[in-house]
Amino acid sequence: MKFARLVLKSARRSKRRTALTILSVAIAVFLFASLRAVLDGFSAVAEASSSTRVVTIRSTSMIFNMPTSHADVIRGIPGVQDVTWANWFGGIYKDPKNFFGQFGIDAESYLRMYPEILVSPGEKRAFLEDRTGALVGDGLVRKYGWHVGDRIVIQPGIPYYGTQDYTFTIRGVYRSGASNVDNQTFLFHWKYLDERAGGAGQVGWYVTQLRNPDDAARIAMVIDQKFANSPYETKTDTEKQFSAQFASMLGNLNLLLGSVALAVVITTLFVAGNTMAMSVRERTTEIAVMRTLGYPASTIFLLVVGEGLMVAIVGGAIGAGLARLVINGEYLGMAGGFIPAFGVNNWNVVVGLGLSVLIGILAAMIPATMASRLKIVDALRRVA
Amino acid sequence: MALIDLRDVSKSYRRDALEIPVLNGVTITVPAGDFMGLMGPSGSGKSTLLNLLAGIDRPTRGSIRVADTEISSLSERALAGWRARHIGFIFQLYNLIPVLTAFENVELPLLLTSLSKKQRRDHVMTALGIVGLGDREKHYPRQLSGGQEQRVAIARAIVTDPTLLLADEPTGDLDARSAGEVLTLLQRLNREYNKTIVMVTHDPHAAERAVHVLHLEKGTLVEQVESRA
Ligand SMILES: Nc1ncnc2c1ncn2[C@@H]1O[C@H](COP(=O)(O)OP(=O)(O)OP(=O)(O)O)[C@@H](O)[C@H]1O
Ligand SMILES: [Mg+2]
Repeated sequence: MKFARLVLKSARRSKRRTALTILSVAIAVFLFASLRAVLDGFSAVAEASSSTRVVTIRSTSMIFNMPTSHADVIRGIPGVQDVTWANWFGGIYKDPKNFFGQFGIDAESYLRMYPEILVSPGEKRAFLEDRTGALVGDGLVRKYGWHVGDRIVIQPGIPYYGTQDYTFTIRGVYRSGASNVDNQTFLFHWKYLDERAGGAGQVGWYVTQLRNPDDAARIAMVIDQKFANSPYETKTDTEKQFSAQFASMLGNLNLLLGSVALAVVITTLFVAGNTMAMSVRERTTEIAVMRTLGYPASTIFLLVVGEGLMVAIVGGAIGAGLARLVINGEYLGMAGGFIPAFGVNNWNVVVGLGLSVLIGILAAMIPATMASRLKIVDALRRVA
Repeated sequence: MALIDLRDVSKSYRRDALEIPVLNGVTITVPAGDFMGLMGPSGSGKSTLLNLLAGIDRPTRGSIRVADTEISSLSERALAGWRARHIGFIFQLYNLIPVLTAFENVELPLLLTSLSKKQRRDHVMTALGIVGLGDREKHYPRQLSGGQEQRVAIARAIVTDPTLLLADEPTGDLDARSAGEVLTLLQRLNREYNKTIVMVTHDPHAAERAVHVLHLEKGTLVEQVESRA
C-alpha cells in the first residue's frame, strides 16, 4: 500500500529510539512466549495423564523398594486389569551432567500398559528378546547421536545396584505418543537389573491398570489397605489425582506468570507509547503541513497507528522468533526424565505476535489521537 | 466571475477571557487568473486571512466562497478533501518533510488521490520539471539550497493542479537571487498556466510581481487595489 513507505521512513527517522522500542517489545514477547510454553508443557502433562492407571509407591518414599509379591496381591483385587512395575536406576552415562531418566521396567506388561510409548513391532520384539537390550526415546537418540545396535555403558548411581558398569544394547527407539511420556527416557529390563542385584526381587513402583476409571479412588484405597501394617506399607494415587494436585499448583503458577507477563506488557506499553508520543510531538509541524495538503485527521491517525504497529511487529517477530529458536526443553536438557520436554511452538509464536500487534495498537492510541486532534494553524505558528 | 469572494469576514482569537480581534469585516473578491499580493505590517492579519482562504482556519463571522463553495460551513473532513482538491499552499519555511526525497515530498498530496503509481510518477516529474528540478528527485531537503527547497515546495503545491495557489511570504527566508527565481516561477505559473495566486509578502519587490496588491492594516483593508495589469 502506498503509505507504507511513508510509515517506514517515519519510523526510521530516529533510529536509536525506534531500535529501543523494538527491543523492548522483543523482550516482552520473548518472555511471554517462553512463559506460555512452560505453562503449556505443564498443562499438557496434566491433561494427558491417564485416569485408569494408579501408581503405588512405598508410603515412606519413592527411593525405598517393595517386594515383587505385591504384584500378585494387586492383581487379585477385583476391578484391576493389569499390573506392571519399574525401578529408578539413576546411573551415570559418561558424565553426571548427562542427566536422563533410566527405568528398569517389566518390559512386556509395561509396554502393554503404556500404549503412548510408540515403537515399531520389529524393534519391540528385538528389545523384548534381548535381556540386556534397551529401548530409548528419540529425544535421547538425537541428543547423543545414538543408533540402534549401539552399546551403551552406564555406571550405577545407587549402591544397591553394585559398582560394576552395566552395558546395554539399543534395540529400539520409541516416540512419545502423548505429553505424559517423555521422549528422553532410557528403558531396559527390570529382570536384568534384578539379576545383577542378586535376585532380591525389589520393585520401585507399581502401576495398576483399572477396568473402570470411576473405581480409581476406591481401588487405590484397597491396595493401600492390603499392605497396611506390613513392613512394606504403600501409598497409591491415580495419575489424575497426582495431576490434580499438580493442576492446582499450576493454577497459582498461571496466576503468577500471568501477572509477570502483564507487568512486562504494561511496562512495554508505557515505554513504546511514550517514545511514540515524543516522536509525534517532534513532528507537529510536519503533521500540520500534511493536514494543510488535505490529509484528513483520520488518515493521520491511521498513519501513526501504522507506524506503531510496524515497529511492534518487528519487535514481536524478533522476540517470538528468538524464543522459538532458543527455548526448547529438549535442547536445553531441562526435561531430565520427569517432565516431558517443552518448547516454544508455532502457536506460542502466533500468540506472541498477536500480543505485539496489541501492544503496537494500544501504544499508538494516545500519540495518534494527539496527532489527529492537533489544530493546524496553532501547530504551524509554533515554529514559524 | 470571482474565484474568491470574501464577504465581511471577521476573525478574533480568544486569549483567556480576552477577545482579540484580528480581522474586521474584510471584503475581497479575486477573479480567476489573478496574482494578488497581500501586504501589511507585522501582526496586521495577513497570515490569518490566508489561512482562512486555505480552509485551515475558520472565520468568526462572514462568508468565504471559493470556486462557488461556501467553505466556512464545510465539516472538518469535507474541508480536508476540499483543500486536497483546490488548494496549493507554499510556506515561508518550505516545510518539506526531511525524511522524504524531493520526489516523495512532491508525491505526498497525490497519495490521497486514486492515481496509479505510474500516473503519480508522471505528475511528480512534470511538477519538478516546471520548477526546474527534474534532476533532483532523489535529493533530500538537507541536500538542497533554500531556493531549491522552496521550488520543491512549489512543485508540491502545484502537483495536484489546484484551483488556487496560496503563498505566505514565500521569499521571506531567501536571498535576493533565490527570491527572484521563486517570484519568476510564481509569475510564470500565473501567466503560462493561468494559476490564481494569493501571496502574502513584506517585500515591496516581491509585491511588484503581483498583478494587484492589497494592503491590510490592523485587520482592515486600507486602500483598494493598485493595478499593474
Ligand atoms: N492562534 C492564535 N491565537 C492568538 N492570537 C493569534 C493567533 N493567531 C494569530 N494571532 C494574532 O493575530 C494577529 C495577526 O496575526 P497574523 O499571523 O495574521 O499576522 P501577520 O500579518 O501574518 O504578521 P507577520 O507579518 O508577522 O507574519 C497577531 O497579533 C497574532 O498575535
Ligand atoms: Mg504572517
